[in-house]
Amino acid sequence: MEKNSLTPEESFDIITKAISNFKINYKENSKSFLLWGWIMSLASFSHFIVIKILLSTEAYELMFLFSFGTWIVFVFSGFIIEYFTNRKRIKDKKVFSHLDRFINILWKVTGFSIPVVIFLSIKLEIPPPPVFLLIMGTATTITGMLIKFKPVTFGGIAFFLFSIVSTFVPNENTLLITGAAIICCYLIPGYFLKSAKE
Amino acid sequence: MYKELDPLLHSQLRLAIISILISSEKVEFTHIKEETKAAAGNISIQIKKLQEAGYISVEKTFKNNYPKTMLSITDKGVKAFESYVNDLKKYINLK
Repeated sequence: MEKNSLTPEESFDIITKAISNFKINYKENSKSFLLWGWIMSLASFSHFIVIKILLSTEAYELMFLFSFGTWIVFVFSGFIIEYFTNRKRIKDKKVFSHLDRFINILWKVTGFSIPVVIFLSIKLEIPPPPVFLLIMGTATTITGMLIKFKPVTFGGIAFFLFSIVSTFVPNENTLLITGAAIICCYLIPGYFLKSAKE
Repeated sequence: MYKELDPLLHSQLRLAIISILISSEKVEFTHIKEETKAAAGNISIQIKKLQEAGYISVEKTFKNNYPKTMLSITDKGVKAFESYVNDLKKYINLK
């Protein structure tokens, strides 16, 4: 392939071809969507069931502990699964794009903002789902737009609608809205991404 | 007057390697080989030249007991690529 006397046109041609042939496979993002989609939707529905049980047994004093406990168990399991699946994925990965790095940082920051949302909700005495769904919507929409994948972008936009809807339902039912939102806006787009052509 | 094009980048394979690296944070050697369809030995020689010039950095690790070479463009490499492209534009505009 080596040739030293290149014309400027040939040089441009090489650059254009190298950059345009260089397709990055964003399908691998679907693994995170599926993992966290299942974890968060199951956590929401489990939390809803736990609250219903505690309300029926009038064990109000356990409400806070069990609510936190449910999410901690699910989220912790998610981190463990992600740690092991990512370790293998990173080992096999051939290309680390700038966009990969940006999306990775975006979701890490989003992840760190969730405990802040919970703290604010407790302090302000409001249910966490509306703000949680808003943050999820922002990160999902940005991801969808960056990877240029419409189902993920639309999923992100739909999160905003679910966020508004969640303010109109009674407290414990916001968990059902959260679960449904994660399935519709995060998990289903994740499956679309998984089945998308490269 | 137009500047002489950077001789390090003004080579088909080295230019292709730098163009691939500019789009990414890190790229594995085997991927460069697949994309450029050049011989591994030839790529290694060009990588060494680019590395010696400080245009790229090379990180060697192991994957399942096999060596894995990851390449990334340095700030100096980005600047060199940018000025190479700017110089190229001048050449084409002059015609």
